[in-house]
Amino acid sequence: MRRLRVVLLAAALAIAAPVLPALAHHGWAWTEDGFFELTGIVKEVFVGNAHATLDLEVEGVVWRVELAPPGPTMAAGFTEDTVKPGDEVVALGNRSLDPNEKRMKAVRITTGGKAYDIYPARVPAN
Amino acid sequence: MEALLGSLEQLALIKALKTSFFAYPIVNALHILAIGALVTAVLLMDLRVIGVIRSLDEQPFVRLLRRVALWAFALAVLTGALMFAVRATEYAGMPLFWIKMGLIGLAGVNFVAFSLLRQPSAKRVLAGVSITLWPLVLLAGRFLGFVL
Repeated sequence: MRRLRVVLLAAALAIAAPVLPALAHHGWAWTEDGFFELTGIVKEVFVGNAHATLDLEVEGVVWRVELAPPGPTMAAGFTEDTVKPGDEVVALGNRSLDPNEKRMKAVRITTGGKAYDIYPARVPAN
Repeated sequence: MEALLGSLEQLALIKALKTSFFAYPIVNALHILAIGALVTAVLLMDLRVIGVIRSLDEQPFVRLLRRVALWAFALAVLTGALMFAVRATEYAGMPLFWIKMGLIGLAGVNFVAFSLLRQPSAKRVLAGVSITLWPLVLLAGRFLGFVL
């Protein structure tokens, strides 16, 4: 039995260890503290589970802008019909700590002269 | 292929699942439940075949756990297919998704080989392969949720 326990513990550690840093992608731990603004052209929009995303092209590079799960995203008034490919969008939020990663999490999306507060509690005071 | 994936995303059931508040997390939870049952059953079977667990008779133990594993696998495939369909085009374009499918394919080939072989020493080796492959499938699947 002792051998079994050792084998199981080793297996659990082997599985858990590489996953732990990746957990950062939930929440905001993987992003910079300061705000970041990105202006780009919509390539693709997805408002659905597990969370909504917006792909923006900026100077030939496609950025992945993460929004909230579909419920809060749609509650903010932002749906898949809000923008279409080719529209200009300003995303305000926090970018990835990894400077090579073209990825951010938005708290506010502005397009067509209208602002959508995806995470109202995190939007900086005007 | 692209058109097929696109039409999968447009199915009424899948579109409902895409923006649902309750259904998607429930499907997701059932997927986790299925994976838990599957990996647990597989690891226990493999440990019995290898000989780490000796306290229970191999045949009835493996017969029971194999049934658990097959049902759990069926549930995992069903719930996984539903979540795949919500973002079929995106998943199909991810190398990690195909790595996961490839690992499941390898585990399937390993299972068939195990069922056909008679030699206990060979079966122990294949059980060792299985004990490595299934946690890798789990790991690949978990990472998919973080690279999307």
